[in-house]
Amino acid sequence: MEYQPGLPEHNDNISHKHPLMEFALLLGGLSVVAFVVYLLLGLAVDLVAEHISPEQELQWFKRNSVDVIASSMLDHGGEAKRIDSALFQGLKQCLDVDYPLQLWLVKSEKVNALAVPGDDVFVYQGLVDAVQSENGLAFVLAHEIAHFQQRDHLKGIGRGLILASLMAVVGMGDAAALANPAAALSQAQYSQSRESSADAKALQALACHYGHVGGATELFDALLKQEGKFAEFGHYFATHPKTQARIEQIHTWAQSRGYGFKETNPLSTFDGI
Amino acid sequence: MIELGIFLTLFCLGFFVGSYAEKQHYKSIVEREQKFMHLVTTSSKRPVGDIGAVRKTHLVRGNAVISVDYFKRIIAGLRAIVGGNVSSYETLLDRSRREAILRLKESCPSASQIINLRIETSSVFKGAKDQTGSVEILAYGTAIYAEK
Repeated sequence: MEYQPGLPEHNDNISHKHPLMEFALLLGGLSVVAFVVYLLLGLAVDLVAEHISPEQELQWFKRNSVDVIASSMLDHGGEAKRIDSALFQGLKQCLDVDYPLQLWLVKSEKVNALAVPGDDVFVYQGLVDAVQSENGLAFVLAHEIAHFQQRDHLKGIGRGLILASLMAVVGMGDAAALANPAAALSQAQYSQSRESSADAKALQALACHYGHVGGATELFDALLKQEGKFAEFGHYFATHPKTQARIEQIHTWAQSRGYGFKETNPLSTFDGI
Repeated sequence: MIELGIFLTLFCLGFFVGSYAEKQHYKSIVEREQKFMHLVTTSSKRPVGDIGAVRKTHLVRGNAVISVDYFKRIIAGLRAIVGGNVSSYETLLDRSRREAILRLKESCPSASQIINLRIETSSVFKGAKDQTGSVEILAYGTAIYAEK
């Protein structure tokens, strides 16, 4: 038998399908599965969070959250107490939150406020400085109380845990690079809807406390000035709705519910005491 | 946000540059395979046919290390979840093997035959989380030179 050199006409050792096609199929299929799992587990978390009583919550989370912010930066007396008795308690009543919540002032220039699991509400000094009136501050406080009422802070933690677990499974390998933004996106979309709902409740509390909703958009107006041109695309990953949209939404709600915008009380009430 | 930007950049870079590099490599492989087709290369332990007296023999080897691109790695990562044919790594291994054999042939262009060809594969680089980065293919055999 004679040796005849030759090359195969067709390479059977490699796949000739377009790699992008395979990528689209894999990504599409896996995304659907991950989405459904996240949706179902997310609903389960919401259900569980609704049934965690404030006492249970306090038992589980108390003091864990305070460690998040250095105690030297926290103020629980003085001004915090004044805001608490003059505003916070009244707003809590308006929102039917009858369990105790601790109000803390954080000595920081950051414009921020947080509701954390346990019973703590943190308001940054930068935020108090950013609003012009007592009413503006009341809206923010009511917004944070609304998070407690809606159990958003618990749901947020639960969903975060679910995402982390999902990511640990899906993220094996470099697919994590894909899964991370997707997870951030879904988390952000969920969070935005909760924020919007808290805004609505805060508006309702403001109307209940003052009889009008003047000053409701104060913080957002201030933020809008600071933000300048915020990239449209980046907004989808933000945990909060777009500031401009929040202002417009507040006006729409106020109009449909017949809330008026009247003169606001000066913030100096607190400094004067 | 930044993470996604980096990912998309690497992903596109991997896809476009990787596809181009692969295409060029295959072109070169096919050309060189044609060029060296006359050089009989077998895994047989004896020369093919009657080549008469053998003047000299020596060990020849060809070595190729080729890496996957980012795009292929992502597809393989997704594929690893559901299982199946990891087609994105197929071209990596196909190219590496053929390149290694070509380098082996190119190292002894005046040989009469290369016999006892062996191929060995190993992954030389484990990326983050033990991801396959690149493969090394070693082809080795015995080059024999006929008397005339």
